[in-house]
Amino acid sequence: MHDPLLSIEGLRTAYGPIEVLHGVDLIVNEGEIVSLVGANGAGKTTLMRCISGVQPVKAGAIRLAGEDLTRRPDHARAGLGIAHSPEGRQIFGDLSVAENLRLGGYHRTDDLGADLEEVYGLFPILRDKAALPAGGLSGGQQQMLAIGRAIMGRPKLMLLDEPSMGLAPVLVDQVLAVVKSLRDRGVTLLMVEQNAYAALSIADRGYVMEQGEITLSGAASELIADPRIREAYLGA
Amino acid sequence: MSELLQFLVSGLTVGAIYAAIALGFTLIYNASGVVNFAQGEFVVIGGMTAAALIGAGVPVWIAAPLAVVAGMLVGVALYRAAIRPAREAPLVSLIIITIGASIFLRGAMQAVFDKQIHRYDGFSGDAPLRVGGATILPQSLWIIGGSIAVFAFLAWFLNRTRAGRGIKATASNRMAAALVGINTGRAMNLSFALSAAIGALAGVLATPVTFTSYDVGVLMALKGFSATMLGGVGSPLGALAGGLLIGLIEAMTAGYISSDYKDASAFVVILLVLFLRPQGLFGARITERV
Ligand SMILES: Nc1ncnc2c1ncn2[C@@H]1O[C@H](COP(=O)(O)OP(=O)(O)O)[C@@H](O)[C@H]1O
Ligand SMILES: [Mg+2]
Repeated sequence: MHDPLLSIEGLRTAYGPIEVLHGVDLIVNEGEIVSLVGANGAGKTTLMRCISGVQPVKAGAIRLAGEDLTRRPDHARAGLGIAHSPEGRQIFGDLSVAENLRLGGYHRTDDLGADLEEVYGLFPILRDKAALPAGGLSGGQQQMLAIGRAIMGRPKLMLLDEPSMGLAPVLVDQVLAVVKSLRDRGVTLLMVEQNAYAALSIADRGYVMEQGEITLSGAASELIADPRIREAYLGA
Repeated sequence: MSELLQFLVSGLTVGAIYAAIALGFTLIYNASGVVNFAQGEFVVIGGMTAAALIGAGVPVWIAAPLAVVAGMLVGVALYRAAIRPAREAPLVSLIIITIGASIFLRGAMQAVFDKQIHRYDGFSGDAPLRVGGATILPQSLWIIGGSIAVFAFLAWFLNRTRAGRGIKATASNRMAAALVGINTGRAMNLSFALSAAIGALAGVLATPVTFTSYDVGVLMALKGFSATMLGGVGSPLGALAGGLLIGLIEAMTAGYISSDYKDASAFVVILLVLFLRPQGLFGARITERV
């Protein structure tokens, strides 16, 4: 049997004494777009941070293609194929746009030129601003930069935490189109999105998280149709 | 005319020492955001170690590198023992830790070495060279050349090497640096090691001219810090320019007005520059994160 690309079992983590994930199970198969939906404070960002290693795990396991990542240090995970575009963008504000993108490929030893071109092709505004400090970009441009930086890592698994946060509607569509095109190029994606309808409409499967636990999961099309979801997250 | 030349030479010599100290500040600041107040102690460790070795008969070309290595080891020890265990603490706490470390190191040096004032002969002798009516100590050329070499090395290292880019990224955003695969702990460790080595080198080069004793580090750190502020925190070019400028202002004031005013005049210039340009001469303007 094929291992899922990402498998999470019984994951628990805490901020100080306060546990915020209480045994999360989640699977992402290779080639999928999986959407993680949930109210503010549910623990979605925390789960992403555990996967990329910047949040320590208290119990449970995280496996990438069968290999146990749980105790691997954060900086080892980019090289293992995980790229994380974090909540709040977390760009290198005082470095140039081009330096930010190149840092996305820090763990790689091959030439970054082709990937840089690819990112500039997806987000032409980044090419125009390549030499400027990233901190001077608008919120939407910084979001593109954060996604572009993740692309530069050539990941197997990309974690996108609220990639459309603060974007104008037309840019939201552009970002979602980029997400789909990444999947077409073989990247597997786990995505957290405020805009649950848009996220589920491009996803294969989805998970619903409430107060640190997964309460519902299934095919994205089923979740969109589920009355409980429609009421809680889709504003219907 | 020859008088002006003389003041220029002594100003550049002292300024080059300040610049080297400021470059050490810059490196640690670039990696960690920490202003390391123990930077002056690295200078003293370099000078005192070289003096002790040379006094014991070790040739200078062996004593000098050993003194730099001694400084580097103390820098790594400082990071591992005091900074790393507290790295989740707020920046202010880390800066206060470095003040504590500087007091501790001063005490330790009194015990390991002594309370005497030390010097040793200049690397190329102490016979002054005559240039256009001014006299230059050969050691001045070592000091100025050393600072420029340290500057060139740092500019290359931070922008052109993988480890250097890792240090810059770590300072800019530690979490993002970890996410792209940078070992941020190693970047900090490296920056403390290099920074301490640079400080110790400054001490090794300067001691024949300025003399050294266990307690000169405070003044050195103060001057280096002023140079950093004047040039723009975080910028190697700023550190170099700021150091040289302060050295020149001090020498000109001491020469043409009175040495009583040299510290004050340097301060006035710094305040003036920071008033007009808060980011310093070469500092990047702090950009708002939207
Ligand atoms: N750095 C932090 N320190 C303490 N508590 C935190 C921190 N970050 C998040 N939390 C808490 O953890 C819970 C989950 O937050 P988060 O993962 O950000 O949720 P989501 O991304 O779903 O909005 C919330 O109760 C939040 O208050
Ligand atoms: Mg969140």
